[in-house]
Amino acid sequence: MKKVIENLRETAARLLQNKEAEVVIGWGLGSEAVRTQPVFITSPDNVDKLVWNPFCVNGLTKYLSDLKTRPGKIAVVVKGCDSRGIYRLTQDNIIPRDKVVVIGIPCAGQMSYTKLASKMDVSGQLNDVEDKGEDLLIKTSKGDFTVKKSEVLLDKCLTCEHHNPVVADHVVGDTINTCPTPDNYEEIKKFEAMSTEEKARFWLSQFERCIRCYACRNICPGCTCRECIFDAIKPDWVGKEINVSENELFHLTRAFHLAGRCVDCGECDRVCPMDIPIRLLNKKLLKDCKELFNMEPPGSTEEGGSVLGQYRLEDPEEFM
Amino acid sequence: MKRVGVFVCWCGSNIGGVVDVPKVAEVARSFPNVVFTQEYKYTCSEPGQEMMIQAIKEHRLERVVVASCSPRMHELTFRKTIARAGLNPYLLEMANLREHCSWIHPDNPEEATEKAINLVRKAVAKVSKVVPLQAGSIPITKRALVVGGGIAGIFAALDIADHGHEVVLLEKEATIGGKMALLDKTFPTLDCSACICTPKMVDAAQHPNITIMSYSELESVSGYIGNFDVTVRKKARYVDLNKCTGCGICETKCPTKVISEFEQGMGTRPCIYKPFPQAVPNKPVIDPVNCKKLRDGKCGVCARVCPTGAVNYEDKDELVTGKFGAIVMATGFELFDYSVYEEYGGGRLPDVITSMQFERLVNASGPTGGKIKRPSDKKIPETIVFVKCIGSREEVKGKKYCSRACCMYTAKHATQACEKLPGADVYVFYMDVRTPGKMYDEFYTRTTREYGAKYIRGRVSKIWQDGDKLIVRGEDTLVGSAVEIEADLVVLATAMVPVKEAAELAQKVGFSYDRDGFFTEAHPKLQPVDTNTAGIFLAGCCQGPKDIPDTVAQACAAASKVTALFSRDQLATNPMISEVNEDVCVGCLLCSKVCPYKAIGGKEIKEQVHGQEITRVVANVNSGLCQGCGACVPECRSGALNLKGFTNDQLMAEVDAACL
Repeated sequence: MKKVIENLRETAARLLQNKEAEVVIGWGLGSEAVRTQPVFITSPDNVDKLVWNPFCVNGLTKYLSDLKTRPGKIAVVVKGCDSRGIYRLTQDNIIPRDKVVVIGIPCAGQMSYTKLASKMDVSGQLNDVEDKGEDLLIKTSKGDFTVKKSEVLLDKCLTCEHHNPVVADHVVGDTINTCPTPDNYEEIKKFEAMSTEEKARFWLSQFERCIRCYACRNICPGCTCRECIFDAIKPDWVGKEINVSENELFHLTRAFHLAGRCVDCGECDRVCPMDIPIRLLNKKLLKDCKELFNMEPPGSTEEGGSVLGQYRLEDPEEFM
Repeated sequence: MKRVGVFVCWCGSNIGGVVDVPKVAEVARSFPNVVFTQEYKYTCSEPGQEMMIQAIKEHRLERVVVASCSPRMHELTFRKTIARAGLNPYLLEMANLREHCSWIHPDNPEEATEKAINLVRKAVAKVSKVVPLQAGSIPITKRALVVGGGIAGIFAALDIADHGHEVVLLEKEATIGGKMALLDKTFPTLDCSACICTPKMVDAAQHPNITIMSYSELESVSGYIGNFDVTVRKKARYVDLNKCTGCGICETKCPTKVISEFEQGMGTRPCIYKPFPQAVPNKPVIDPVNCKKLRDGKCGVCARVCPTGAVNYEDKDELVTGKFGAIVMATGFELFDYSVYEEYGGGRLPDVITSMQFERLVNASGPTGGKIKRPSDKKIPETIVFVKCIGSREEVKGKKYCSRACCMYTAKHATQACEKLPGADVYVFYMDVRTPGKMYDEFYTRTTREYGAKYIRGRVSKIWQDGDKLIVRGEDTLVGSAVEIEADLVVLATAMVPVKEAAELAQKVGFSYDRDGFFTEAHPKLQPVDTNTAGIFLAGCCQGPKDIPDTVAQACAAASKVTALFSRDQLATNPMISEVNEDVCVGCLLCSKVCPYKAIGGKEIKEQVHGQEITRVVANVNSGLCQGCGACVPECRSGALNLKGFTNDQLMAEVDAACL
């Protein structure tokens, strides 16, 4: 891990020094021991702020959309899951590929803050993390803690198709050779087996909690419209008030806007302050697109686009 | 606030017999913006239209709703009407009270009236939001593509070419001529098929305006009426048409003989071959599947004997592109696969043959030189049984439809059999005898009365081999008893079905087809040769089974449609096309990927962001290319695209009117 950090900082310093990038977006230490926060490094003198540890959960690619009009190139650090967001943005013409310098870090899995917080005192500052095989030794200003990795891993990391980034101009860290573990959609199958009433009961109880903060939209590398239809007044596609009916329409519409495009980075789930399992909706559509159109996970390759935006003679037509 | 007038039509009793039309008109008067309503028996009639014009002028109407039939029927009529009254023709909205209401709810007049009111409410809400639109114009490429070189394609090509327009006649086989080239005689006059077909093939080949592309297939079609971009795959022929003189030495020297498709499996041909001696172009092609040289690299005789060095084993498929203003589809038919009726033994019993095989057997240029000899032992049959409706009018294993030409060609076959084999017994099993055509019934009467063919009304249940005889067991439903006939030869009148690739072709070119794979005409009565895609026309059996006279008539009709189109230099474009809201467009250009007309591209615009000038890409609709299909609109997540005449705002107004 230390070697990766050194390598990362060296790479960032070199890119900034040589003007190969004007800014490097990466992770820095956060407010608590097992949190990190996005940092924007513009000077080689500040690269020491960059860190890499098992708490770098945030996807950083969406910042590219915000910073795309900034002069010069933008370097961004990505894990495997985040890296698919790069291709989402380039395929959507949000940012040209040559404006981005991708620093990829192979990732064995990230740890859940919620799970860690139930096992240790997270309120201190992080001093060091040591990988002890099955365990993690987390040294903080409030003491040292050993946790079992398997118990604190983020749920999305249990099924990971890309431990290694799908795109990287610079790779820091060693390639991970463990077999990818594609999702076989067990959880979705459980939902599919439910009756309409059961599904409605589950989802309406979820949507009821939504406060329409739009954090899920703001983090999503697939949500890059100039004017989001949920903000639009004319036409007034979706009501702005917070009630279960409008909330339902919001979530379902958002899911459909990502159908065949969602890169399954899982960020919507993580950022939701109300713990609504938003990713499940996208997962269902991913499963359908895979079964109907044999779609690869969106964003895994440079070319490709929306399966719903393409027509092939062999597309199923069972609705006709 | 727009002044809206609502005109509710009775359509005689079509609408008025179910829907309470006066009530609809009365309720509509209370809808927002409506200042005038009127009901009339036939709004589309001359007095109906005049009343509308008067009302528009008198009540200063700015928007018009006509509640009548489908807009497919009369939208154009009423657009012209309101234009005569001085309104922009696109300030019209139709509520379909006929197809969408009265016709489908004849038993629920009250609810139908309620629905009619709601349909009008919706139309009023929409029409209040419509804006005037102006039509543009685009040039027409006056060059036609005819797909299929059978008799339909040949006639369509000749007629278009005679009008002075260039035509490309595309044929997948090595020769044009299609199925008619296989036939012996034609009903009801019994004139020789080859004698009337082959001269037309030659005419097509020699016509200065016709280019024949044989052994070629349609690869892709894009574009739209007046401007189709077509790619054709010229299949590797292995013979250079420019060098080949058609002398035929190669054919005689080729050591490999295989079953001839042209002879319907009853003769052989070499591997470098012309399908038949009168083929057009009269030059051979190499069958790459069976040719020893192409398969194993051994042989090469044809190249050695060719005096002009025309044989080229390295030949490859070639893609050729071209621009066309109109396309005529004339892809013809195939025969139904009779082997699904195992009880008849087709394909298993050698002397149970198809009607097309019988054509070759009686044909002077066929494998037996026109002598009817049965395939198994070349014996001249003494008893022949014809069985009609094989695969047609039979839903379990076959097709629901009547194949239409079989009654007549079977009568012709029976006549020929009686003529060529005096004293032979000729039986025909039939369900009905359908002879609607000029001189058709007279022909059939002659077959039975003068030639003595014995018609038995009933179906055949089983055919089996017994020694050198075929036993045909069936039922005579007129007598009400079972019959068994010992036959030497059985001919199955197999139904016509569309060519295998019909559905794929329709999808490639972009028009609709029915459940059997026949291409669908735009209107069964009034637009029998148009497809629902402008600029694409139909001729011959690709549209449905038909005989030669009907095929030729339809081909000439399709040609006249094409020449009518080509008589203009410009085509008025539909103003109901997409437009881009550049403020909202994020430039993902997914719209350009879904656009079937390649009408959307990207363009760069400059704008100020926080005092800094930036350039960004937005979608740009080419108004000449856009056909207003609207595929881009739902594809756009941001809602930046709108179809003029069906804008999101207008549709939302309709939805609100219907739901709130």
